[in-house]
Amino acid sequence: MEAPPQTPDRGEPGPREQAQQQQQEEEDAMDAFLDKFRSQPYRGRLHEDTWEQELDKIPMFMKKAPSEINPQENPELACLQSLIFDDERPPEEQARTYKDEGNDYFKDKDYKRAVASYTEGLKKKCSEPGLNAVLLTNRAAAHFHLGNLRSALNDVTAARKLKPDHLKAIIRGAICHLELKNFSEAMSWCDEGLRLDSKEKKLLDTRAKADKLKRAEQRDIRKAKMSQRKAEAQKEALLRAIQARNIRLEPRAPRKEEEEEDEEEPTTPQGGLGSENAIGAKVSLDEGGRLSWPTLLLYPEYGQTDFISAFHEDSRFMDHFMVMFEEPPPWDLERKYRPAHLELYFEEEAQQEVHQLGPESTLLQALQHPRYLVKAWTPAFLVLVKESPFSKSFLRGRKVHRLK
Amino acid sequence: MSVEIFRTDKEMSRMDSTEEVADVARELVTFLTQTARPDVQAEAARHVLGLTGSETGRSLLVAQAGLLQALVKLMDAPPAAGAGSVGDAWRAMVNLCAEPNVHISMLAELPQLPVQLLGRALAPNWPWAGEAAAALANLSRESEPIRELLGKRLECSSDKASQEPSLALIVTALTTPGYNPHSPLHYLASLLSNLSHLPRVRAFLLDPNRRLIQRLLPLIHWPDSAVPRIGVVGTLRNCCFEHGSHEWLLGPQVELLTFLLMPLAGPEELTEEEMDRLPMDLQYLPPDKEREPDAEIRKMLIETIMLLTATAPGRKLVKDQGAYLVLRELHTWEPNPEVRLACEKLIQVLIGDEPEAGMENLLEVTVPPDVEQRLQQLDQQEQQQLQQEREEAGQP
Repeated sequence: MEAPPQTPDRGEPGPREQAQQQQQEEEDAMDAFLDKFRSQPYRGRLHEDTWEQELDKIPMFMKKAPSEINPQENPELACLQSLIFDDERPPEEQARTYKDEGNDYFKDKDYKRAVASYTEGLKKKCSEPGLNAVLLTNRAAAHFHLGNLRSALNDVTAARKLKPDHLKAIIRGAICHLELKNFSEAMSWCDEGLRLDSKEKKLLDTRAKADKLKRAEQRDIRKAKMSQRKAEAQKEALLRAIQARNIRLEPRAPRKEEEEEDEEEPTTPQGGLGSENAIGAKVSLDEGGRLSWPTLLLYPEYGQTDFISAFHEDSRFMDHFMVMFEEPPPWDLERKYRPAHLELYFEEEAQQEVHQLGPESTLLQALQHPRYLVKAWTPAFLVLVKESPFSKSFLRGRKVHRLK
Repeated sequence: MSVEIFRTDKEMSRMDSTEEVADVARELVTFLTQTARPDVQAEAARHVLGLTGSETGRSLLVAQAGLLQALVKLMDAPPAAGAGSVGDAWRAMVNLCAEPNVHISMLAELPQLPVQLLGRALAPNWPWAGEAAAALANLSRESEPIRELLGKRLECSSDKASQEPSLALIVTALTTPGYNPHSPLHYLASLLSNLSHLPRVRAFLLDPNRRLIQRLLPLIHWPDSAVPRIGVVGTLRNCCFEHGSHEWLLGPQVELLTFLLMPLAGPEELTEEEMDRLPMDLQYLPPDKEREPDAEIRKMLIETIMLLTATAPGRKLVKDQGAYLVLRELHTWEPNPEVRLACEKLIQVLIGDEPEAGMENLLEVTVPPDVEQRLQQLDQQEQQQLQQEREEAGQP
């Protein structure tokens, strides 16, 4: 920058020249300063590559506080912390600080830490019941979100002792009871709250929910009772039908779970109640009052059995034979089990006596045989082939009552 | 003072001269006010009570100058002082209030009586609150002016302690067990039923912002005494004339229909599919479920449901909530011919076709005169048939 020569060559510069000179000096100084700025780095500056991490370390700009504050790494933070939690501050202030800290954790859904903060606040045992009630209620909310419903209830109960009209405690308590399915308690807590504020929406909602669930529960209980009554009535009808036919059931040694039932049942000569056999098939009574039994046919020659799940008492053995032995069964090696050649027997208890039955008889007639005893609610019968060597040897050792 | 001066009411009726009777009545007034001689007072009170047993006696007493005041003074006496006479005085007042002919004269002499009675009925410690309620029920049953008078007063509070309007306090007194441990308040229900003839009372009770109707509903099952049941069902029936409120009443906030159907429902077993159509509380009722024993109440319940079917939306709600199933079973069980008839009519509405356009609100339909005549004829025939059935039932 060169000023055009305006002054004649003289020894002293005039005022105008002086001003210009000053301006020039200032500009030069500014230039030098700017140059210095460009060449030397600012000592407190953040570094280009790591500016985000560095920013995070400055307490003012922290998005999240570190869970543990290391005074070496974060001296400023440690400083602030000791300021806030100074034990020399009055307990009410400390408690309030803990409350705020807890609330912040709560907002972040860090419920465990929230509980810890509120607990610290309560430990201060400050003299303000209102503040303690809030601490308890807030802790209850944190417990609720952690699933600790009982702890939550303890807290709100304590809160209400301190401040009986603390509406938030009542609301929280009602919601806890609802979760625990204590519908009556939930409703009575809601009613107490509604006495304080009859329009409180959460209370009205919770009460309506609890009411509905309670009534559904009661309905389900009634329904279950009716099913039970029906089942028992059916069992009784079954027993009556069997008794009316003079069919003898083997008295079962009652198993543990049946013992209670036996006490309630009218004493039958047969005793026992379980009407299911091992496979779960049951004797049943149809609409016409006729019974059908799950029945076993035993073929001792080959150690085989046939199971008829519902043998109608009015059907004849021969009817079943005709169907079952239309084709010889695979185990019938000698192909001799033909319907016309089959003989029907049942064994008596001691297994020493054997009675013959006619295949033309119905199941009912067989069951009504004076010596027949139904075991395990499943009638069983022996099938042999007439005159076969096996049948002769089988029957040899026993007392046989043949058909006349 | 010798006791022979008192006459029993039998003797009074044998008296020929009205003057003699009037004399005795005058004496009674004197004796009633004899606080110095509680035994005399007690005798006088007993005689007054005896007189209130007959219509002539009641008219006589009311006509006697000063007698009502004396009676009221005795009624207000602290209970300790001669409990017998105070009780008799109260019972006498209840009887007097039952006589419609004397209401006007009574009100002329004791204009503050209804309000005073109301105060006593709602006082939690008053041992004669039940009698006060009964007297009010009697007064309000026949007399329109008394109902009006009470109606005006009911919206303000009579209780210094609570700010509740008296009408709300009546509901509270009825529905809070142990409200008055000294006296049963059954007749408050009858009072409420009478008062619900007034539109303003109905509007108050049906206000959705107050929980009044909902608190009355459980009283439909009041055991032991039919008086509160009749009162509450009567109140509900009258309220159901307000068809603007039907949707709210049938909705989830009140669930009126469930409460009306419960006393009509029995232990009968329905199929699972049928049970699912019923409101939850009516499903799978146990085998020992009993129906409402009083036929009059059963009839009122059916009438109330009938009112709820007046509008199309109401009809739909009643149908959807399974009313038909309950009524079907009721009809099979119902021993009383009048109730059975009401039941049939309601079933007809529930299973019949929807009425044509222009007739959506059956309460507001104008009936053409010839149809009106025909309907009246049918009604008469029905009545005759009922009469016949009643006679047949009466014969061994």
